[in-house]
Amino acid sequence: MSAEIREREALFSSKNIKLLKNPLNLSNPITVQVLGICSALAVTAKLEPAIVMAISVTLVTAVANVVISVLRNGIPPRIRIIVQLVVVATLVIVVDQILKAFVYDVSKQLSVFVGLIITNCIIMGRLEAFAMANKPWPSFLDGIGNGLGYGLILIVIAFFRELLGSGSIYGFNLIPEQFYELGYKNNGLMILPPMALIVVGVIIWVQRYYTRDLIEKN
Amino acid sequence: MQEIFNIFIKSIFIDNMIFAYFLGMCSYLAVSKTVKTSVGLGAAVIFVLGITVPVDYMLNEYILKAGALEWLDASFVNVDLSFLSFIMFIAIIASMVQLVEMIVEKFSPALYSSLGIFLPLIAVNCAILGGSLFMQEREYQSLAQATSFGLGSGVGWFLAIVGIAAIREKIRYSDVPAPLRGLGITFIITGLMGIAFMSFLGIKL
Amino acid sequence: MYSNGYIFRYAAIMVIIAAALLSTAAMLLKPFQERNVAIDKMGGILASAHIPDVTASNSIKLFNEFVTEEIVLDQNGEVVESYTEANKENAKAFSLDMKVELYKKSQGKPFELPLYVINKNGQSLYVIPVRGVGLWGPIWGNIALSSDLNTIVGVTFDHKGETPGLGAEISTAAFEDQFIGKTIFDNQGQFTSIMVVKGGIGKLPENERIHGVDAISGGTITSNGVNDMLKDVLETYLPYLQKHR
Repeated sequence: MSAEIREREALFSSKNIKLLKNPLNLSNPITVQVLGICSALAVTAKLEPAIVMAISVTLVTAVANVVISVLRNGIPPRIRIIVQLVVVATLVIVVDQILKAFVYDVSKQLSVFVGLIITNCIIMGRLEAFAMANKPWPSFLDGIGNGLGYGLILIVIAFFRELLGSGSIYGFNLIPEQFYELGYKNNGLMILPPMALIVVGVIIWVQRYYTRDLIEKN
Repeated sequence: MQEIFNIFIKSIFIDNMIFAYFLGMCSYLAVSKTVKTSVGLGAAVIFVLGITVPVDYMLNEYILKAGALEWLDASFVNVDLSFLSFIMFIAIIASMVQLVEMIVEKFSPALYSSLGIFLPLIAVNCAILGGSLFMQEREYQSLAQATSFGLGSGVGWFLAIVGIAAIREKIRYSDVPAPLRGLGITFIITGLMGIAFMSFLGIKL
Repeated sequence: MYSNGYIFRYAAIMVIIAAALLSTAAMLLKPFQERNVAIDKMGGILASAHIPDVTASNSIKLFNEFVTEEIVLDQNGEVVESYTEANKENAKAFSLDMKVELYKKSQGKPFELPLYVINKNGQSLYVIPVRGVGLWGPIWGNIALSSDLNTIVGVTFDHKGETPGLGAEISTAAFEDQFIGKTIFDNQGQFTSIMVVKGGIGKLPENERIHGVDAISGGTITSNGVNDMLKDVLETYLPYLQKHR
């Protein structure tokens, strides 16, 4: 029994918990590591695609991290980028093909994201920076943590963009009709990609105001 | 000839990878601290786009497209390998990036270390894959057109990153609120530049 | 350090495994996928004519029930084949791929066009499939015209990868329903197509508003794609439409 406890402690040691928690704030993939910006701009005009994307990226990062971590000792460094990309792309495409064959409706909604997932720099970035040098289990946690950190920011951006740009949340209209009659208008600028950048800028501002360690020195 | 030139200009200014499509943002934001490194990364992107787009064009035209294998044998006319295009494009891009990495490491170790993780990340720089996918989608008529599109997109990306790097070098002397310093203000400036570049959108060439 | 031989072997084995995996998946799953694509195609055709309650499981049945005739046209708008038999998915018209046919057209080669006739409540509706390019990839859809071959009864659009929330809005009811009741010919019988107007149809002169719909804000390139797609494809069908109006 004591062996079992030791095993569990090893699984969720404080170091491993950190792997899960840090990406949510201190090493957030978007606001600190600057990874995965393109997809953050592309899917955050509405809340729904942002959530779908957050879930898919979390799963893919975790699985890809584990696979690469298992293979890490055999991969020749010179061709590691190709190996990583081929592994990720093959995984994602095969899953997409299976979805297309058996749950066509789901696949239709997700296929938009397939390209975005494969080229998402978070996945490549974590493979390169973490999975290549760590064991499978920590790599798995790292993947989940980074996926969640990424998803968190995505959902915050999408919340504000949808609320101010389309006047709705998750497709439900929130702004009462009377507001529009009084002259309130949805801000069309919010759904354009440049505003996503500015929203991220503001999020960084707020985050660093509270987490002083992250402030950059000139 | 004129068509080729038009494509070149169009892909630099009107269809700018950064400001019109917001592709290749990660390395753009992270490696734009000084003009020197951004020139290095920009040149690498021009090089990679300038090679991968024409190579992927040939690949698409003679192997992947529906009926593309006709030149081998008439019986292959019904073969459609386009489901492979994504992974083939990625493989070409990854090998080109690996090549660039080796060249940079050999000839400019200083640049190599300052680019850090972002050199391998060119491989997933969406601007590069975007270049190949746009090329496939827009059905360019000749290799020359595809090449000029690839190079033009690269130059557009180069201009954008050098531009923001120059702004960031100057902004160092301004009094930006501490939490906004560095990355935060860069995001906001990029957003503003993007809005400015939108005015090019309506131009037809 | 790894020797070059090892690198080559590693790369070769990896490529073979990946290729094997991908092509096995593609081969094994193809029949299922094609079935799904066919069902989706039928669903789109039916939905453009506002046939109620179309789902993936009943589209084949409804397709056979409502579609009375599948016509193949040549480039001059002449009817090449008219298929009225029971099993509608075997018709030549259904197997035509708009992408291939429009490519043939752009190359100046002879091409063929499909046209579906739907009988809904005793009225004949004509469904034209359309195809074009959006911002990130192909966009396609169906337009159902009433028997005057002028008034639009309904449309459906779909896309491969337009930006969610922006260009992807073309496949929402809010965008599609704008087309209902619009006409593609003006009073003089001139072909006008349907204009997708940036900033809203309020910008058009009063008498042209019947030929226009509002573009999607923030989805300019996709909206322009829809505009060009409608113009190009409807123009291709023009010889037939003008002959039979």
